[in-house]
Amino acid sequence: MAGINNIIEVSGLVKKFGSLAAVDGVTFDVPEGEFFGFLGPNGAGKTTLIRMLTTLLKPTGGRAVVAGIDVSASPQEVRKKIGVVPQALTSDLDLTGYENMDLYGRFYSIPSRERREKIKNLFEIIGLSNRQNDLVATYSGGMRRRLEIARVLVHAPTVLFLDEPTIGLDPQSRRAVWEFLEKFRKEYSLTIFLSTHYMEEAESLCDRLAIIDNGKIIVLDSPDRLKSELPGNDIIHLTLSDLSMISPVEDKIKGLAFVHNVVAEGEDLRVFVENGAVNFTPLLESVKEAGGIVNSVGIHQLSMEDVFIHHTGKSIREEGGKKVNFFVGAGLPQKLSR
Amino acid sequence: MTRLLAIIERDIKKFVRNPIVVIMSLVMPIVYLVILGNSFQGKLKGLPLAIVDQDSGIYSRRLIDNLRAVEAGARTVSIHMLNDQNAALTGVRNGVYKSALIIPPGFTKSANLRKEPDVGLFLDNTDTVSSIAIKALVNSALNSVREEHVPVRDKPYEFYARNIELYSMVDYYQTLVPGVVIMAIFLGTMTAGVFNLVMDRFLGIDESYLLTPLSKTDIVSGLVISGLFITTLIAFVVLIVSMLITGIPFSKGIEQMFSIFMIIVLTTLALLSLMFVILGRATHPRIVGLSSGFLNVIFFFPSGAIYPIESFPAWLRAFAKVNPEAYAVHALKSVLFKGAGLDVILGDIIFLLIFTNVMMVIAILSFKRTM
Ligand SMILES: Nc1ncnc2c1ncn2[C@@H]1O[C@H](COP(=O)(O)OP(=O)(O)OP(=O)(O)O)[C@@H](O)[C@H]1O
Ligand SMILES: [Mg+2]
Repeated sequence: MAGINNIIEVSGLVKKFGSLAAVDGVTFDVPEGEFFGFLGPNGAGKTTLIRMLTTLLKPTGGRAVVAGIDVSASPQEVRKKIGVVPQALTSDLDLTGYENMDLYGRFYSIPSRERREKIKNLFEIIGLSNRQNDLVATYSGGMRRRLEIARVLVHAPTVLFLDEPTIGLDPQSRRAVWEFLEKFRKEYSLTIFLSTHYMEEAESLCDRLAIIDNGKIIVLDSPDRLKSELPGNDIIHLTLSDLSMISPVEDKIKGLAFVHNVVAEGEDLRVFVENGAVNFTPLLESVKEAGGIVNSVGIHQLSMEDVFIHHTGKSIREEGGKKVNFFVGAGLPQKLSR
Repeated sequence: MTRLLAIIERDIKKFVRNPIVVIMSLVMPIVYLVILGNSFQGKLKGLPLAIVDQDSGIYSRRLIDNLRAVEAGARTVSIHMLNDQNAALTGVRNGVYKSALIIPPGFTKSANLRKEPDVGLFLDNTDTVSSIAIKALVNSALNSVREEHVPVRDKPYEFYARNIELYSMVDYYQTLVPGVVIMAIFLGTMTAGVFNLVMDRFLGIDESYLLTPLSKTDIVSGLVISGLFITTLIAFVVLIVSMLITGIPFSKGIEQMFSIFMIIVLTTLALLSLMFVILGRATHPRIVGLSSGFLNVIFFFPSGAIYPIESFPAWLRAFAKVNPEAYAVHALKSVLFKGAGLDVILGDIIFLLIFTNVMMVIAILSFKRTM
């Protein structure tokens, strides 16, 4: 990628914990100003990757360059250029919001006058000016998260790393975080690296997206391209009444001309089809012919979730390939995330 | 430098915002002083002694009178007169009495015949301290009965022991003060020092610090300096309150105050850095909590604060040679009770300095800057 200024350059990065390769040979670049996302299920290696890029873990192999500096060679220099919001909440409960921010500013040796102005501005952006002198112990989870994101901007980093920044937040707080991430990005002309397991978050925020599973990048592209590259344009979602019906049904419908891909999860079948509205009835007939009894059926346009399922063969919210099905009856399955 | 100051300021704020911790750190050593000073004072009181007088002659009555005098005066024993020897012995066995004195029939008679009169003394030898005291008491009561009928010139030898007090009056209560101050320092270094580090690690707060340009030295020395500040304050308050409680005079001037200050600062640094070496990599605050009781025993009792180091077995004496608390106790005792100048405690000071430096280097080297 010569000519373009890459803020993050990663090649063949590996991290092993014993025999487990948590990050298993990852290669990608993030150009300046990009909002880059890592989408992956629990245990995919997102946190491990971020910890290597942010100097908290030493890579077992490969190379990572952040803001032009080799992470293994001069970690201290890297730390000056990055802002990191770890997955766990890390603000100090015994200090006020203001003190938490101020402490950070002092760690980066920012002069006190500048610090005061910056912090004031940041509190305005996150909408917590009236709470800045309260102990963080009295903040809600969403408020704490907003504070922690703003805190790492005190020293004006070149690149911001966010590890699942909206995990555990209600939809409203999540949207608030998204909004001011966009705001910060413009105001500070930031490059942002974000990991998430929320499809919507990845899709609405990121310029480009890498899907990671078992420590490996499976695909990397813009959300729109990822979707348009999928075969077909609709998903028909079937829930059969019995697990034993799955494989004969799967075999049967795979042979249909309008079916591009079938992914089975427990009693559920996700069928990637051409023109779902038209092919809906023929599909159900084939299912019946194969001896399948359909409990519920739904149809929707391709989403990021389908992109993920297409590439990994499983949906993002389940752990370790094991499947617990909470849903019986009509309607589209909405799996609980946690 | 700004970074270091920021850490120190943070720690002090956090400490002050947890008043329970402040109060506990101050109150615990003082309560310890009061409890230890009153429960284990060297003087014994009210030990129950059963007496069975099967003789009922003049000399047995005289012996009992002698013991009654002790009961009324020094109150070492409280006397229970019994008729039944078996009841007395069962009482000792059951712990009702510490001891049973049986005066056999013919006690007066044999005294009249100028034979050695015998008594039976049954002791609860599971309680050595009480046994020794009662035995000594009964012997001396018996001796003064004997003296009445033994001609003075027949006395073979007589010893006069005279207490020569080298230093001004120091009672047992006061001798505990240096130990209690050292204990306050120990507790301070735990709560204000390594506990904070481990707690931050446990809460995940440290992850956000490791992401900043703070160096290992910043992190460790920041915690050590704030721990030093807080602990020194605690130690001084404990020292002054203890001096007031036990009546140690303050009057010895600037040099003494300076020496005390130096001992406290150096002891704090020595223990802070030692705790960082021992517990600096713990991941759960419970480990610090559990170890603190254990480490306190390990360093406190062999420090000479309660019992003289000279009476330890060789292996424990060897340990005392590298125990910073032993040097601290020695230095504090010298300065508080003997009015010693800097020259006397120089050895202690040099040891503490070297110890601190070695431990600090190990602490910083062994501290992990990554997760
Ligand atoms: N310190 C460690 N020691 C051993 N194994 C580890 C360690 N940290 C992570 N792992 C393992 O590495 C794998 C990747 O973990 P990681 O935390 O990077 O996943 P993640 O994508 O961040 O998951 P989540 O969405 O749950 O946060 C997991 O299998 C995890 O158990
Ligand atoms: Mg994670």
